[in-house]
Amino acid sequence: MLTTDFIRLTNSSLITHRMRSFLTMLGIAIGITAVVLLTSIGEGIHRFILQEFTQFGTTLVAINPGKTETMGMSMGVFGSERPLSIEDSEALQRLPQVQSVVGIIQGNAEVEAARRSRRVTIYGTGSAFPETFNMPIALGRFLPDDDPVAPRPLAVLGSKVRQELFGHTNPIGQKLRVGGEAYRIVGVMHSKGQVLGFDLDDTVYIPLASGLAMFNREGLMEIDVLYREGAEEQRIVASIRKLLIARHSREDFTITTQQQMLDVMGSILDVLTLAIAGIGAISLFVGAIGIVTIMTISVSERRAEIGLLRALGATHNQVMGLFLGEAVVLSALGGLAGLLLGMLIAHSMPLFFPQIPVHTPWLYVLLAEASAVIIGLAAGVIPARQAARLNPVEALRDE
Amino acid sequence: MRTRDAIRFSWNALTGHKARSALILLAISIGVASVLLLTSLGEGARRYVNGEFSSLGTHLVIVMPGRNETSGVGLGNMMGITPRDLTLEDAHALTRHHSVRRVAPLTVGAVEASWQNRKREVTLLGSTSELIHVRRWTLASGSFLPQDDWARATPVCVIGKKIRDELFGARSAIGQWLRLGENRYRVIGIMSSEGRSIGIDVENTVIIPVASAQILLNSSSLFRILIESVSREAMQDSIRFATATIKQRHHGEEDVTVITQDAVLQTFDRILSTLTYGIGGIAAISLVVAGILIMNVMLVAISQRKSEIGLLKALGASQREILGLMLAEALLLSVLGALLGFAIGLAGSWGIRQALPDLQAVPPLWAVLASFIVALASGLLFSLLPAHRAASLDPVQALQGR
Repeated sequence: MLTTDFIRLTNSSLITHRMRSFLTMLGIAIGITAVVLLTSIGEGIHRFILQEFTQFGTTLVAINPGKTETMGMSMGVFGSERPLSIEDSEALQRLPQVQSVVGIIQGNAEVEAARRSRRVTIYGTGSAFPETFNMPIALGRFLPDDDPVAPRPLAVLGSKVRQELFGHTNPIGQKLRVGGEAYRIVGVMHSKGQVLGFDLDDTVYIPLASGLAMFNREGLMEIDVLYREGAEEQRIVASIRKLLIARHSREDFTITTQQQMLDVMGSILDVLTLAIAGIGAISLFVGAIGIVTIMTISVSERRAEIGLLRALGATHNQVMGLFLGEAVVLSALGGLAGLLLGMLIAHSMPLFFPQIPVHTPWLYVLLAEASAVIIGLAAGVIPARQAARLNPVEALRDE
Repeated sequence: MRTRDAIRFSWNALTGHKARSALILLAISIGVASVLLLTSLGEGARRYVNGEFSSLGTHLVIVMPGRNETSGVGLGNMMGITPRDLTLEDAHALTRHHSVRRVAPLTVGAVEASWQNRKREVTLLGSTSELIHVRRWTLASGSFLPQDDWARATPVCVIGKKIRDELFGARSAIGQWLRLGENRYRVIGIMSSEGRSIGIDVENTVIIPVASAQILLNSSSLFRILIESVSREAMQDSIRFATATIKQRHHGEEDVTVITQDAVLQTFDRILSTLTYGIGGIAAISLVVAGILIMNVMLVAISQRKSEIGLLKALGASQREILGLMLAEALLLSVLGALLGFAIGLAGSWGIRQALPDLQAVPPLWAVLASFIVALASGLLFSLLPAHRAASLDPVQALQGR
């Protein structure tokens, strides 16, 4: 049989039963639409969350007091009998390949300026904070590199606090009372928005030592180390661990690297996307049953035609190929339509639901189309074998 | 035509093409079963979380330091510390109200526990004898913290099972001196293993009197104050009382957040319910695909049974009767498919329950009803067009087989 004849024969039956072919394809198309749409949303959320993490840079290592972890949080943050100190963070600064080190204490206090007051998050931190967390400054400058033990009482505002307390007037140089103590404002941070549940704009930054004194704490909650791009992460972690063990005489701290966090988050989100795609694929499976049903019907309808083909010398494999080809064309076309529809819906979604991030990776698109073709093949096997097994004499007699 | 005849007619039409009907039934039942299975997983998760929360103790009001005016309750103030500490005296003041049954102050931290040569990093809880009642924990052996003056730093501790196993092994732990940091505490009780009770792994926890913990961690602040109200109705009273009392004690500064367990639970409940609805909806798309299949097969069947329909019409069957016959056939398929789907779905959720006894995976009633209705509706809706086409056939032409 010539290839052109093969193609013409395969397509002719699809064209003669237009409605039937259309409905069969529609079944597959809906399945593929669901899969493409859901994976697009899954992948969009995946990227959004990774972006939230990586905006702080990927070469970040966090050190928390305490060794035990509960729900991903070290209990040592709340209290530890041998806390991390300012001196620890000073010592880490001297390690090779380390770009910047910043200690953090976080709390909550009332701030007051220009006869307005509100309760906000307070970060006690050092001059390297903007560099370490990749947070730009909008106005003025960040806290200066003062004596870590006796810093000047200076403060930097988050953008929302500035808006609430000062409106559009210039806050630089103004007085600010934080927890009853007087500070002078030297800068305003750029708006960062909500990051993983923390509103970084509703924040006031003060020097670390002032924070420790205000909250009456001896230890830091966290030390963050930014290492140079290209440095080996494992070596950095090992040298941090060695230094802190030497200073504390035992390992009473937890080291978390940004890369670990990213890996864990990434694998969780991959599983989620896969699960959601799997739920969407149920429709695809039902669509495949549709192909089986329609093909079975069409084989029984075309017994005479098959008998004739066989009598004219078409082989077993050629007849089987004809019907398999029909099934694959059905599913491939249906899949293509589903792809287009799915991508169309996915990319018009931001118009209606701007808060849902969407992204359609080409790999998924190809995978979805490939799976449609494979489903067509699998669904076509049973009817195609029925057709190929027909006895030409009996099939012709039915006419 | 009588109803019985109509049913028999559809039944014969269906059994005449066994393979075809079986495939349609399979398609519908997969749709219904997947809706039931997935919603039962969601419902199971919801029940699990509900159970976890109610095991925390009912009527629970939680006072935590720090309050954010602009952002409300967020992750940010979960570990709030404030210039003015939440103190033991604050906690004591909260006991003096008729709506309050028990108050348990709480401090947490991480310390190293050691006995002889064995060491282990553990979670430290400092509290009072009330904690075990408020959190509904149980003891495996020994006794809980003594009912003492809160300010008295008695050197005793209650330890979790995992700590007992790892530090003491097979030996009896009760009566031994456990070293925490620089101090020694006598072990007076072992917690029974509830496993993980939201937020705190009881098995890896050492509980000591709150005053002892404050000395050990060198801090006078409390992490939380847990209040158990006398009843559900009294919880609002307790919240108002706690907020007002702390504000008064903190010189008019309202620097605490008071929440109820219910508020947290409701958030989880809402999230999980929405998820379950969403997943059930996505699975229900497959029912639409099954509906399209019904439509397709009926169209084929009608063109094959033209002469049969022509005969019926020639014998005096009205358009309505033909329409009714066709719809009855679709309805029969959908009902049978849905019932088969129920059987598969219920068997599947029973299987999940056997495999994961913690997860009470039962399909919620709304999912059962909705999947049945959607299956019927899509069967009926998609058969309307073919049924209409059959009913409007011209008897003469149909009998000729054209």
